[in-house]
Amino acid sequence: MASDEQSSDRRRFLQGLVGAALATAGCGSSCASERAGRSEISTVVTQTEAARTAVLQGKPRVVVVRAKKVLTDGYDADAGAVRAMLDAGLVALSGEKNHTSALLRYFKPTDRVGLKINGLAGRNAATHVEVVDAISDMLARAGIEGRRQIAFDRFTRDLTASRIADKSRSGGYRAVGNDDAGHEEELVQMPSSASRLSRVLTRQVDGVLNLPVLKQHMLAGMTGALKNNFGCIHNPNKMHVDNCDPYVAEVNAVPAIRDKQRLVIMDALRPVLDNGPSYQPGMAAPANALLFATDPVALDTVALGILEGLRAKRALPTLAMLGQTPTYLATAARFGLGVNDRAAIDVVEIEV
Amino acid sequence: MLSRRDFFRSCGGAGCLLAAAGATGGVLLPAQRAFAKSTPRAHPARFWKKLPQKAVECELCPKHCKVEDRERGFCGVRENRDGEYVTLVWGQPCAVHLDPIEKKPLFHFRPGSRAFSIATAGCNLECKCCQNWDISQSKPEDVDFQFMPPDEVVRMAREYDACVTFTYSEPIVFLEYCIDTATAARKAGVRSTMVTGGSGESAPMKEALKVLDAVKVDLKGFTENYYRRMCKGKLEPVLKTLEVIRGSGVWLELVHLCIPGQNDGEGEIRDMCRWVKQHLGTDVPLHFTRFHPEFQMKNVAPTPNATLVRCREIGLAEGLSFVYTGNVPGLAGEDTGCPRCHKTVVFRRGFELLEMHIKNGRCEFCGAVIPGVWS
Repeated sequence: MASDEQSSDRRRFLQGLVGAALATAGCGSSCASERAGRSEISTVVTQTEAARTAVLQGKPRVVVVRAKKVLTDGYDADAGAVRAMLDAGLVALSGEKNHTSALLRYFKPTDRVGLKINGLAGRNAATHVEVVDAISDMLARAGIEGRRQIAFDRFTRDLTASRIADKSRSGGYRAVGNDDAGHEEELVQMPSSASRLSRVLTRQVDGVLNLPVLKQHMLAGMTGALKNNFGCIHNPNKMHVDNCDPYVAEVNAVPAIRDKQRLVIMDALRPVLDNGPSYQPGMAAPANALLFATDPVALDTVALGILEGLRAKRALPTLAMLGQTPTYLATAARFGLGVNDRAAIDVVEIEV
Repeated sequence: MLSRRDFFRSCGGAGCLLAAAGATGGVLLPAQRAFAKSTPRAHPARFWKKLPQKAVECELCPKHCKVEDRERGFCGVRENRDGEYVTLVWGQPCAVHLDPIEKKPLFHFRPGSRAFSIATAGCNLECKCCQNWDISQSKPEDVDFQFMPPDEVVRMAREYDACVTFTYSEPIVFLEYCIDTATAARKAGVRSTMVTGGSGESAPMKEALKVLDAVKVDLKGFTENYYRRMCKGKLEPVLKTLEVIRGSGVWLELVHLCIPGQNDGEGEIRDMCRWVKQHLGTDVPLHFTRFHPEFQMKNVAPTPNATLVRCREIGLAEGLSFVYTGNVPGLAGEDTGCPRCHKTVVFRRGFELLEMHIKNGRCEFCGAVIPGVWS
């Protein structure tokens, strides 16, 4: 009887996911642009006929923007180049005419926006501060001033180490670690685990702009958009067994995480190719790319291809050969969180 | 109504000690200092080795977490800092209470005595039924704690005429603190006990056993499937730990929390009892205790009394001498019977000792040796 009750709970959890996924697919503002098949995507986008058709068919879109000279000294990014990349990516993703109107497709001017960065690896492999600053400026121009933006991650020390918390900059946003803000007392139940959510997520922001870093991960295989949301819970340490599967998918299916995430911009300027997620000298290589999507599964699927390609150039084994296939992507797709079939994703590549 | 968590928090937040007063409740005593959230202090960890590129491998438990720089292991309390492994809970308990020893439960270890019980954050398992999940499944910075070095623990235990007990969460994840405290306690003539899930590596466990006087192990199930599915752990290392403890001569008792439909099948219980008899002997007390809905299992009903009674019958039928029921005050199965004359030598109700007829470790009626630590 007890196991029946648990199965029933699991069914309800999964039914909730499917319902939510359908709702998102049908009318969620965050993905309306990809579904709508707008005729004026952007003048900077060179789309193939197949890509246009894909948009019309309602495929999720992932925009990959590259800029060869974005890294100034091998690590730090050129602020101007980053702004150009963000502008191109936002326009291509949304179909709007400029980044301001693009951002307003995902966030309301009255929103409080969380910038979920990844600061674990410190300055050398965190979300570039130039990316955070630039997107913050763009949000401010869209009417969401800095005081209503919060950059957050698990630990304040990580925000400091990655320069996100540097008060001398003019970003205007606040930087808050979950260790300072705390976690909700109530547990969120998942089929395989239970967690407390970051109070930044639950109380201080209305929508989240996920800013992950592309990195190989010894335990998960890859860390990207989905895995970055482990920074919204109090116990990610409990979720790294079995290649983080199904934990990554289950965490991303939590309504407060799933529903608040409006947009993902992945920092793949200089991915960590091996021995991640920490920074390892010699194991990071420039890819000079930012990825944009509202479908985190689709974005991670495209990012995985980029990661494997960079690893192959270094003659590193595939993640599958290491037993590190990020199987959580398929689980997330099964949960209705997005699309993990590369052929079913509209990938738009832009060079600026 | 005050929830269990609110109660614990109020105890901690107000900086109080819970003193045992009766079968289930307690009174609040003035605290020595306040509990509070703070940045945990790092203390060098033991039982680990270095890996290339500043990674480390923890050798404390069977998980053998490979931890990169700035990351933590599964337990959440041991962190890699620039290639050096540190513990963030040494001397920093988040729960400090005075309990009856029967609450652990240790029925054959100084009945009626007190246990000065401490716990830190963290656990190397994640049991869906955990009663103390708010500390066991938390990181050090997520809970209120206070600094209490080993000498201070021992001083307070002496003050309350109690043994030191490492309990509530999982002492294996704060084993350095346990060992240092138990060592100090032994020097001071204070005994030390541990309540653990037993999911530890043999080498560190053997080191701890040198300074411990009794251990109670939760044998949570008797299939690998149960441990994997319900606890994110493994059964085999726990069985190995039980043999290590038994071989050390340190007093050992077992608890099996019976969860309806999960680990209470007659076949599983019988297999477990047979294993205990064969590998640990008939003298090791085995407690079948009642499950209360908690944590990730709030949708499961409490264990029926009949299940506990049936489990106890199986244990006795398989030849175990001391099989108890627990968490149901008044249910038959709380008393200790003499294996030879079958007269009751210890009467209990809940956590309360009512009568004891054991003298110098022997039954007062027939003189048979009753295994345990009685004085």
